[in-house]
Amino acid sequence: MLPELEQVRLEFDRALAAAGGDPRRLEEVRVQFAGRKSGVLRQLEERLASLPREEKPAFGKGLNELKGYIEAQLKAASQRAQTTKTKKEEVDVTLPGRKPTLGALHPVTLVRREIEEIFLRMGYSVADGPEVEDDWHNFEALNIPPDHPARDTQDTFYLPGGFLLRTHTSPVQIRTMEQFKPPIRVIIPGRVYRRDSDLRHSPMFHQVEGLVVDEGISFAHLKATLEAFVHRLFDPSLKVRLRPSFFPFTEPSAEVDITCVLCRGEGCGVCSGSGWVEILGAGMVDPRVFRAVGIDPSRFTGFAFGLGLDRVAMLKYRIPDLRLLFSGDERMLRQFPGGLRR
Amino acid sequence: MKVLYSWVCEHLEEAAAPLAMAQRLTAVGLNVELRTPQGEDEVWEVDVTTNRPDCLSHRGIAREAAAAGAGRLTPLAVQCQERGPKVETEAKVTVEDPEGCPRYCARVIRGVKVGPSPHWLAQRLLACGIRPINNVVDATNYVLLDLGHPLHAFDLEKLQGRHIRVRRAGAGEKLVTLDGLERTLTPEDLVIADEAKAVALAGIMGGAFSEITDATHDVLLESAYFAPTLVRRTRKRLGLDTEASRRFERGADRAMARTAVDAAAQLILELAGGEVAFGVLDSCPEMPPAKRVTFTVDGLSAFAGCPMAESFVAQVLTALEIPFQVQGPTFQCEVPAHRVDLELPEDLYEEILRHWGYDRIPSVLPPLTGGPGERRGSFPLTDRARDLAQSLGLAEAITYAFVSEEVEASFGDSPLAGRGELVRLQNPLSARMAVMRRTLWSGLVEAAANNLRRGAERVQLFEVGRVFFSREGRVHEEERLAVLLAGEVGAWDSRRPVDFLDVKGMAEALAEGLEIAPLTFTPLAGPFAPGFGAVMQRDGATVGVLGKLSPKVQSLFDAPRPLWAVELSLDTVTTPMPPKFQELSRYPAVVADLTVRHPLSLPYGELVATLWSLAPEILERVEPVVRYRGEQVAADEVKTTLRLTYRHRDRSLTQEEVNAVHFALMEQLAARLGVSFT
Repeated sequence: MLPELEQVRLEFDRALAAAGGDPRRLEEVRVQFAGRKSGVLRQLEERLASLPREEKPAFGKGLNELKGYIEAQLKAASQRAQTTKTKKEEVDVTLPGRKPTLGALHPVTLVRREIEEIFLRMGYSVADGPEVEDDWHNFEALNIPPDHPARDTQDTFYLPGGFLLRTHTSPVQIRTMEQFKPPIRVIIPGRVYRRDSDLRHSPMFHQVEGLVVDEGISFAHLKATLEAFVHRLFDPSLKVRLRPSFFPFTEPSAEVDITCVLCRGEGCGVCSGSGWVEILGAGMVDPRVFRAVGIDPSRFTGFAFGLGLDRVAMLKYRIPDLRLLFSGDERMLRQFPGGLRR
Repeated sequence: MKVLYSWVCEHLEEAAAPLAMAQRLTAVGLNVELRTPQGEDEVWEVDVTTNRPDCLSHRGIAREAAAAGAGRLTPLAVQCQERGPKVETEAKVTVEDPEGCPRYCARVIRGVKVGPSPHWLAQRLLACGIRPINNVVDATNYVLLDLGHPLHAFDLEKLQGRHIRVRRAGAGEKLVTLDGLERTLTPEDLVIADEAKAVALAGIMGGAFSEITDATHDVLLESAYFAPTLVRRTRKRLGLDTEASRRFERGADRAMARTAVDAAAQLILELAGGEVAFGVLDSCPEMPPAKRVTFTVDGLSAFAGCPMAESFVAQVLTALEIPFQVQGPTFQCEVPAHRVDLELPEDLYEEILRHWGYDRIPSVLPPLTGGPGERRGSFPLTDRARDLAQSLGLAEAITYAFVSEEVEASFGDSPLAGRGELVRLQNPLSARMAVMRRTLWSGLVEAAANNLRRGAERVQLFEVGRVFFSREGRVHEEERLAVLLAGEVGAWDSRRPVDFLDVKGMAEALAEGLEIAPLTFTPLAGPFAPGFGAVMQRDGATVGVLGKLSPKVQSLFDAPRPLWAVELSLDTVTTPMPPKFQELSRYPAVVADLTVRHPLSLPYGELVATLWSLAPEILERVEPVVRYRGEQVAADEVKTTLRLTYRHRDRSLTQEEVNAVHFALMEQLAARLGVSFT
């Protein structure tokens, strides 16, 4: 390179080094050397034009080299400056994000849906009925005539006009059988009411009821269905035990215990040391119930079962107090954002 | 009921050990819930279901234990040593209501010496929860616990005319019962009377007047069978639950009436001396024909789902003292008087299967004969609402459907609450739960207030549930969705208190998801703070309300911060049509902002509605960008900047043609509403 041009290159290098990473001073260097109007390079281009013809090729070549060099250096310096700048403003990635709140369904809704899912897969429909019932659907059609002692165990809230708040979801069994002909395979979740309030009872709670009516339905079918259900809902290793009992609308009737889900049968506070927890009532549909809804009991048999959703939610999520479920306490409600999925 | 193990064993030979017997009883349906050691003996708490009054005695439990393989039932041998005069000369019994009292047996014991019972007897009664009184009364209670039949002893000399009359009470007739309370009776009540007055409530409790005292010499011993329904009605009306009423209302053993009176007379003789008069006054010694139930072993096997052996059936029936005959495949059973629960073949299937053991029945899933299942009723709708609310970050609450009248009234002026009359419970648990809710807010507001008082900084709750109205004598149920916001919203670095647009946004998103959008919002005072409430309508029908609840409501629930609430009726929501794809435009949009200066009295909704009414076809969307009040805007004015998006379906728009349309729109808007654009 011509000495004159080499001199310019050295000056540029010095100026660039002096500017460091400061973008403002880099810009000054750029204007000084590469400025379009009066930069050093611009002046040298003007010189080139005025040179004698024989000197032009060598000067032109050197000037092009110098131009390339300066532009490349400026670009690199400006990129370095950019990088330094962003580095200075980097985020603290450990700060919490602006997280949208996740919604949450009530534990009773979660277990209801889980139970619905299990039975839908077994070909059951999900049905529903009114919470305000008449005596026929809530009691009489279910073989609980007036003055039946079983009425004492279901303390009822009465409304004007002979209506009542249903004490169980069983009236929807009646409504289903009044509306549909066998084969019937249905579960009925819903809210029920009993005039009872203490540590273990709430005047409002939830049940799910199942009903199967067809030709040839047997006790063995009931047993297998309950076992399949319990194994899917809780755990396939749980044992299921049926104890003879009494409900007016089933004959025979059974109370259904499962191995305590907390202690696995060892005995604990939840199962009062017995290793079993009672979660279901079940039985074969009483022929008197079939007669009440006009289904021929000599042709059809069926089974029914029912359980408390609140109790299942408490067992599944280890919620210690029934009343907590209806408290609307958001600290509790937001503990199950995803529910339990199987 | 409470039973003594040793007492049960008195009715058994080769009785099993306590643990084994308790387990066998539980396995066949007599749940032994609690075993308490008492010396060498054990007191059991046995859960007897309401259909088995025959098990409310030691003999009854022994019978079940024997059938369950825990011993052999010994025959019942009751003898009564009679002496002295014939009973007919001592007393007279007239049953004036044979339907209410199908059988009345009486014996007379003369010359008793009333005193305390011996220790062994008193201890047995105490162990079973009955307080010893004197040897005569204790003897009746002992027989009650032993054989299950309630008895009553009268002081015969107190009975006017030595005459027992079983009749209905007169209206307003008075009787002082053994508990010392004066009862006012009705013709619904069956009483035992003498020639002058009522002396006992039939099947429930004796009267104080004729009770056995230390001065009693002659005793009339009653052992009757009363109609269950009558006993039950009187017991319920008077709230008088006794050992006797429990048994009679479930169904006593009509045949046992005679055995029991003999057993009790004999025991009194042994404890209190005296002499038992010859014979029994028995109003109806003849038993009605026994009910017959027939079934086949094949029927039983099909019902059970596994083959059952004839020999096992016979074995169970024998052990339960149910007489039967076998004719080919058919069992013909005669229902004994103590089994009031046996009527149908299924009732007998139960007897056999519970003794067979439910655990020995196989598990077989039923064949799938119907089609696939479906969700019916309200669940598709209510669960859709729940999913939507959850997707908006809300937490689901479930609150009581009954509230106090005061709480209910505080929401009474909401148009959603006013859809019908209040439904009052006839027998509420308390004043706090006296009426059915007509709005979901009643429970949700209380929950929100509780959360705030616990120190929650933000409350974001929803509930889906039913509300209740009475219209024309019918109770109507309506599904609702309610949202409650309080405290703060926004991320940690942009927190601010909830305001109207937050709840409105919730309402709009829910309406959109439920496909009931667009809704019109009109100011509403109702239960809201003045100027902060609105009613939501669709095609002129009210579908919801929203706003800031009034300070009155806030203070009623003692909420430390304002409560913002939405309530939507789900009644108008229909099953959604499958959504249809909307063609996506291939041509670019042209966006133009428009700042409108207008009086505050012109609502945004009217401004935008007017704009749309004037809009050219290529106007695709209008949305607000900013609202400005302050410098250079008069106090009663606001500057609203709108972003207008123009797009042609079939071609690109030029800036010139959008300008022309946009300026024309501005001129029309100014002319129509008197607004300016500076």
